Amino acid sequence: MKSTMNRKKTDTGSSVRAEKNSGSFGLMEKHPGSSGLMKKNHDSSGHTEKHPVSSVMKDKPTIPQTFGSEVKSHSLRALFRLSRPWMGKFILAVGCILLVNAATLLKPWLLKVVIDDFLIGRKPQNGLYSLVSMAILYIAVSLMGGLFTWLQVNLVNRAGQAIIHNLRCKVFETILHLPLPWLDKNSSGRLITRATNDISEIGEFYTDVTVNMMKDILLIIGIIAAMFTMSIRLSLVSLAVIPVMAVLVWLIKNRIRRNFFGMKHYIGRINGFFAESLSGMQTIQTLRVEEARDKDFTHLNDEYFKTTLTQVRLNSFLKPASDVFQNIAIAMLLAYGIGQVSGEGLPIGILYAFTSYIKQFFGPISDLADKYNSIQSALVSADRVFGLLDEEPILEKPDEGTPMPDAAGRIEFRHVWFSYAEEDWVLKDVSFTVEPGQTAAFVGETGAGKTTIMNLVSGFYLAQKGEVLLDGIPVSTLKKADLRRRVASVFQDVFLFSGTIRDNITLHDDTSDELLDTALRASCADSLVEHLAKGLDEPVTERGSTLSAGQRQLVSFARAIAHDPAVLVMDEATANIDTQTERLIQEALLQVTRNRTTLMIAHRLSTIRHADRIFVMRHGEIVESGNHDSLLKHKGYYLSLLEECEEPVA
Amino acid sequence: MVRFRIVLAFIRQHKPSYLFGILCMLVASWVQTLFPNLLGGTIDIMGEQGFNAASVRRNILFILLIALATFGFTWLWRTMIIGNARKLECEIRAKLFRHFLLLSPSFYQKKKTGDLIAFAINDISAVRMTFGPATAMSVNSLVLCIVSIFTMISTVDSRLTLLTLIPFPFVIWAMLSIGNQVRKSFLKVQESFAAISGKVNEGIHGVRVLKAYVQEAPTLADFRETSNGMVEASVKMVSVSSILGPVIELCFSLSFGLNLILGGRMVLDGTITVGAFVAFNTYLAMIMAPVLSIGRIVNLFQRGIASMDRLNGVFLSEPEIRDRPHARDISFQGHIAIRNLSFRYKDTAKAALEIQDFTIPAGSTLGIIGLTASGKTTLANLLLRAYDTENDSLLLDGLPITGYTLETLRNGIGLVSQEPFLFSATIRENITSFQLDRSEEEIREAASDSFMLESIEEMTEGLDTLLGERGINLSGGQRQRVAIARALLRDTPVLILDDALSAVDTVTEAHILENLRRRRKGKTTILISHRISAVADADNILVLNDGQVVQTGTHEALLQEGGLYREINDEQEENRHRLLRAR
Ligand SMILES: Nc1ncnc2c1ncn2[C@@H]1O[C@H](COP(=O)(O)OP(=O)(O)OP(=O)(O)O)[C@@H](O)[C@H]1O
Ligand SMILES: Nc1ncnc2c1ncn2[C@@H]1O[C@H](COP(=O)(O)OP(=O)(O)O)[C@@H](O)[C@H]1O
Ligand SMILES: [Mg+2]
Ligand SMILES: [Mg+2]
Repeated sequence: MKSTMNRKKTDTGSSVRAEKNSGSFGLMEKHPGSSGLMKKNHDSSGHTEKHPVSSVMKDKPTIPQTFGSEVKSHSLRALFRLSRPWMGKFILAVGCILLVNAATLLKPWLLKVVIDDFLIGRKPQNGLYSLVSMAILYIAVSLMGGLFTWLQVNLVNRAGQAIIHNLRCKVFETILHLPLPWLDKNSSGRLITRATNDISEIGEFYTDVTVNMMKDILLIIGIIAAMFTMSIRLSLVSLAVIPVMAVLVWLIKNRIRRNFFGMKHYIGRINGFFAESLSGMQTIQTLRVEEARDKDFTHLNDEYFKTTLTQVRLNSFLKPASDVFQNIAIAMLLAYGIGQVSGEGLPIGILYAFTSYIKQFFGPISDLADKYNSIQSALVSADRVFGLLDEEPILEKPDEGTPMPDAAGRIEFRHVWFSYAEEDWVLKDVSFTVEPGQTAAFVGETGAGKTTIMNLVSGFYLAQKGEVLLDGIPVSTLKKADLRRRVASVFQDVFLFSGTIRDNITLHDDTSDELLDTALRASCADSLVEHLAKGLDEPVTERGSTLSAGQRQLVSFARAIAHDPAVLVMDEATANIDTQTERLIQEALLQVTRNRTTLMIAHRLSTIRHADRIFVMRHGEIVESGNHDSLLKHKGYYLSLLEECEEPVA
Repeated sequence: MVRFRIVLAFIRQHKPSYLFGILCMLVASWVQTLFPNLLGGTIDIMGEQGFNAASVRRNILFILLIALATFGFTWLWRTMIIGNARKLECEIRAKLFRHFLLLSPSFYQKKKTGDLIAFAINDISAVRMTFGPATAMSVNSLVLCIVSIFTMISTVDSRLTLLTLIPFPFVIWAMLSIGNQVRKSFLKVQESFAAISGKVNEGIHGVRVLKAYVQEAPTLADFRETSNGMVEASVKMVSVSSILGPVIELCFSLSFGLNLILGGRMVLDGTITVGAFVAFNTYLAMIMAPVLSIGRIVNLFQRGIASMDRLNGVFLSEPEIRDRPHARDISFQGHIAIRNLSFRYKDTAKAALEIQDFTIPAGSTLGIIGLTASGKTTLANLLLRAYDTENDSLLLDGLPITGYTLETLRNGIGLVSQEPFLFSATIRENITSFQLDRSEEEIREAASDSFMLESIEEMTEGLDTLLGERGINLSGGQRQRVAIARALLRDTPVLILDDALSAVDTVTEAHILENLRRRRKGKTTILISHRISAVADADNILVLNDGQVVQTGTHEALLQEGGLYREINDEQEENRHRLLRAR
């Protein structure tokens, strides 16, 4: 279902959106570290001097260049497009509103009948034409009015909730499909805000604004029509203030918008700051950096407060301003009337009628003024959300590309050059081949680019030059889902989800008990599971915080094996595991890796001794390769690693 | 009202601006009431033959003045009261952040980060809505309501007035019972919001795993369900809360209807005049408007209460670990003694660590080696008081560690943890732990002693390179080395390295260990490692297995003794030999 959705979008939307992509919103609020290691820091000279400023304080909101009508109308259109499937509900809601209005008008009429006919006219009451039945009718009409009010509110709410449910899922889907280079550069807290707060604000637009706005606009049109049929001249006089108001609104519109942009920027950063601080709380506490964190947070919070204060000021301006304009309009009307009435050109009754029209007219206007902020706020949120959705063209499409239902597992790098940021090459002309079923090991100093090689194999990043091939097919053209089903990775940084041990091993896939058993045994996680009270169903907290580091690695190891891959990638998978367990794992692994291609990275060379090929890496290049024996004979860098590694104890 | 303690304290603190705001609000309302009379009067004047244009002009001026005054005062009270609500929002958030800084690991293990973020933004917003717009509206409506009731009592027939009051008990009952429902269902809404926030947070942080195992679709399906929960909760809440308005209106219509019948009869009987009948209806309509808006306010208040309850849940969770009453603020040298230590994590059956009697003399180096999950990290956690033991089984310079303030204790014990956490700040900020006044030389020295300087210098921005979240743009070993540099710079009397070189290659590891030995001379150092070579030089070695001490002694003594240490050693020795011996 998802894939068809994706495809439809790329057909219709991507070409239009692609042109905007360069200045797109998602990237705009880049993470401070976004341009990676490359960007020159212009004010870095001021660092060590008297007024050190923490990096948190330097990141100001950047107002988009394209800020203005163009993007805005794009968001507005998108908002309306989203509501199209629920048009029926919205129209029904408007129908309800008309009925409610009818009821509101009917009630005073009933009162009038009672007073004029029965109380003053003293007409005889007979049958339905009586005080009692009028009273009952009155109550019935109110009941109807209430019922339709309730119905309208709920119709709109349902539609609004459904719309934002879809939007929220779409945002989350986008987040899940964003490529890693993008995610590396963008703060997660701000992405979370897109899926939570921004969506909520858009929801308020649908539930609180749309239908009521329609109601207000209908009312305004009705009143204007009534005014013009009564007197064109007086109408023109009465409405003379409208252009002035429009100019005023137009003048502060940009300020409001810019301010909302700032507000949302800071809310996103506060979100991110909270997220980061919460997940690093233990480090914060052991390092005693609470004060520094608090200071940075206070800075963000204060900046946010400033923007909200501006917002309050601007907002406090519009609504009373519309009241002022109402009075000015009436004053102008009266002033105009002075000449006319005395010259008998104008009956006083019409003047009176116009003053009450003006009052009625400004009711919805002041309502609209009140909502103007919600609308702007929703639009800025919409810009942010659609800006993220506009990343569509760069999203990973797991189901597109050459399918690969099965793989032999031949891996080849052909003159691969790769960098995370611009020309800062992390891999330089790397070439190697691993035949199906072979075990290849990568060793070398930290930062040499070992993990990077694994990232390229799984297609998380794409090489800038050269090719990475699986079974002779470039991984960039492979169907990503298939590629990643064929390749299972144990990452250097273990990540466990909250749930149970079982959830963490099988993830959402169906795994046969047999396979699960093999996985547990091969990773030595079986003894861990045995010790747990609930076994495989033992709850796991966020990031597996109640397990020891070694235990977490075992689980993530079991996860890879349980997915029965053709290629097994192990990035320092046993780094935090003791020697004895490691040996057990190795023995068990021999079975598992017999007919799979295995890529492993390890610093403890004993782990990789049996590898068919060992690649020694340095500064992004493969400097030596061969099997253990041949490398030993070569007496190069490998030997020096070895001598350090297993240096005989004094 | 206990639940609003924080808010009330805030209001008390900002009394002047609240009072001034309310005053402005009342003045604005009062000025507005002048308008209808003025307008009516003006039109009356104009209705006369040959009226005095000057007095009309004067009235027009008054109308403009009223407009100006209304504007001024409305603007003032809005900025005051709603501005205060914004301030309240930010203050609660700051308070929440500070509270989070105090809470202990055991709290965070029970909660998801994403859920907790929802408090900071979503719940606090709901509270703000209650104390900004809702409070302002309620003052206005209450005043209007009371004024109308009083004018009515004094001008209209008392029987009819009584009739007006009939709906009130029902209205109040409806407000209370529906309000209750609203609160409950809003709680659900906030909870589902938090759940969504939690899911998104976990999804983003675990995105590598999700991608690697092609879990996008099922994860999305799971999320869809959570989001559906939110839809259901919101639909339910609105379906309840939107009843209140119509119910209030209906109650009043009953009153209207009764008045039509009873009042009408009374007019026909001649008991009251038609004028009184009309006046009554007008007043009833006048009261209804503010009561309706009070209904809306009740909704907002109940939401605020629901969110406040959630927030209070956090504020009331006391930090488990904190300064004991007589905790002292004296520095220590780093003589660590462990007596009858037995520690069990909450909700686990078995002790994670048991040590009868063990001493680490000040200035010595202790190596700890042990199997996976044997309690090594647990010991480090206990020394830093991430968790507390039941009895005072850990002594520092003869004093129980609980006898020191947390500040002194943690300032004196450095830890490089197994999976170091780096902040998304510059490398400089990370190495200096945000002490930006540390000198360049110090920083460079620490970086060079942890063998990180070369890597840093390769980066275009050097020390001022900004790191991604958790240091994403560094390799695993680089992260560990930044963390070591950070610990070296802090230069604490006690330093614990918890398997801190696991991602560093062997050549670099050997160099770093050597630097460590040099820099830590005369200071207590605890080296946790899986590798014999890392701990062999230590003054004493502790061998742990399954939470128990199995052996202690120097490397030589332990080799002599046999047992687990010897086994590990032999295994590693054998590996070495096998490695060096060509196959
Ligand atoms: N917060 C916690 N809550 C409950 N149990 C925990 C918690 N932290 C650790 N444990 C358990 O306590 C035991 C010891 O864990 P610890 O982290 O001290 O091991 P370790 O010796 O550091 O192991 P490793 O070498 O794998 O890091 C393990 O069984 C672990 O599951
Ligand atoms: N996501 C990333 N963004 C930017 N730079 C990165 C990223 N990941 C790694 N690097 C850099 O690339 C180089 C190689 O890293 P890596 O492949 O992880 O090394 P290792 O050989 O230790 O696994 C390092 O200098 C590291 O700083
Ligand atoms: Mg690595
Ligand atoms: Mg540990």
